[in-house]
Amino acid sequence: MLALERVGKTYPNGVHALGGVSLNVALGEIVAVIGGSGSGKSTLLRAIGGLDPPSDGAVVLDGERITAPHEKIGIIFQEPRLLPWLKVADNVGFGLGGRPRAERAARVATALKRVGLTDKAAMWPRELSGGQAQRVAIARALVPRPEVLLLDEPFSALDAFTRADLQDHLLDLWADAKPTLILVTHDVDESIVLADRVVVLCPRPGRIFDEIDVDLPRPRDRQSAAFDFVKRRVLVALDRSLNRAAGAAEAEPKATAGAALWW
Amino acid sequence: MSPVTMTIAAQSTGSEGTPSEAAPAERTNARRWSRWMRPALGLALPVGLAVAWEFIVRMGWASGRLAPPPSVIFATFVDLARTGELQRHTLVTLGRVAAGFGIGVAAATVIGAAAGYSPLVRRLIDPSIQGLRAIPSIAWVPLFILWLGIFEASKVTLIAVGVFFPVYLGLMGAIQSVDRKLVEVGRAFRLTDVEMVRRILLPAVLPAYVLSLRSGLGLGWMFVIAAELMGASEGLGYLLIDGQQLGKPAEIVAAIVAFAIVGKATDWLIVLAAAPFLRWEDVVRSD
Repeated sequence: MLALERVGKTYPNGVHALGGVSLNVALGEIVAVIGGSGSGKSTLLRAIGGLDPPSDGAVVLDGERITAPHEKIGIIFQEPRLLPWLKVADNVGFGLGGRPRAERAARVATALKRVGLTDKAAMWPRELSGGQAQRVAIARALVPRPEVLLLDEPFSALDAFTRADLQDHLLDLWADAKPTLILVTHDVDESIVLADRVVVLCPRPGRIFDEIDVDLPRPRDRQSAAFDFVKRRVLVALDRSLNRAAGAAEAEPKATAGAALWW
Repeated sequence: MSPVTMTIAAQSTGSEGTPSEAAPAERTNARRWSRWMRPALGLALPVGLAVAWEFIVRMGWASGRLAPPPSVIFATFVDLARTGELQRHTLVTLGRVAAGFGIGVAAATVIGAAAGYSPLVRRLIDPSIQGLRAIPSIAWVPLFILWLGIFEASKVTLIAVGVFFPVYLGLMGAIQSVDRKLVEVGRAFRLTDVEMVRRILLPAVLPAYVLSLRSGLGLGWMFVIAAELMGASEGLGYLLIDGQQLGKPAEIVAAIVAFAIVGKATDWLIVLAAAPFLRWEDVVRSD
């Protein structure tokens, strides 16, 4: 189990990005973290991944305090971040450095097959499209079989069609080993398609404003009324989280009008 | 109605069929054209001038004594090569460049890597090196001669100094501009410091490093001439001076041609040696 215990982050330059976030995530659960800009979503994810350890509180995975990148935690960034000097297959196997060659080759082949890019194994990253590159990045993160997979707005740079495609694909891959997924996003639809629970953060400093359970059966129909119902709940929470922020005047008036309509 | 539509359909497929079949052939022709003709276009001017000068001298319109025509230069070149003079001088010069290049690259690589990797080292030594860089390297010659004598040591040192700066700058800059995001990937996969250097920094830095080696080598060739012009009993630079003092312009040009050939060949060797590691740079994005 992953436990966040009053995780806070103040940067050396004085910016108070996170103000004490507590959250328990069960093994295999999919949690989407959503919030306006400045709500510290990425900071939170980087703290969980051990890339930027928190300045207050602790991240605890299976009783072990996380202060640096951990082998049980995989990370997928907003950009694919493939190493341009490695062929696609070598990028996928990047995290298997110490393993025997045969095992590495077998696991890479399985992962590439799973993301449907077997025919691209011998290509250079530059030859891939954006969606293919992100699929390679997903394969690279999954190959070491992490217990927790962190995703930082992984599909935000892709076009709408590719994004929906990859969302379904991610769920498909998740079903193989059912790791814990923590997904930072600013796309409400994405959070509801994927997550068991949507955590809404409010900004300056980032805190948990609301948690919304999504108990819709999978695969989820983006057009269904139940989906829409949850979506409205998330949107309203998001909207209120922005209004409650220190600079209430900064919240977009359009969003306020929208909230008034929904209720 | 139907026969008419049929003929239209037939016509349209017919008219479409021909160009789509012809297009690939045209394209390969165009590619062949651009592959051979573009470099050939660049040769037109020098070859044209050479032929024109040869013609003018042959016709007796100019003596060609101070500016020998290509045929005389070629004959001198062949003569020098036949006696073994050319090879001997070339080897001596090549040896000096190799020694100076080796020393300069070794020093620049160690110091440049340290300055690129550690901000402390950079703050400590980079200002001094930048200050030294502002001095034209030739200005050191008198001092080097006083310190190291007039023989090989001072020449090799001058070449090493010339090679040092571009390699140092290139390597330090390349290390500093390594994509932090890729370094973060290395961190996320828990690479040790040594692994980080080997698997992320080294490959990321290599293209810029190879480029700096090439410009360093170019400067090495420049400074070997300077060193040899200032006093040598062997080497291609000596051949230049010899040609000047004995009034043999063809020998000077022949030495220059030898410089060009050896310089280009050594540059090509670096490119060739680095090519297997830089193949990823050559591919083009598919979409």
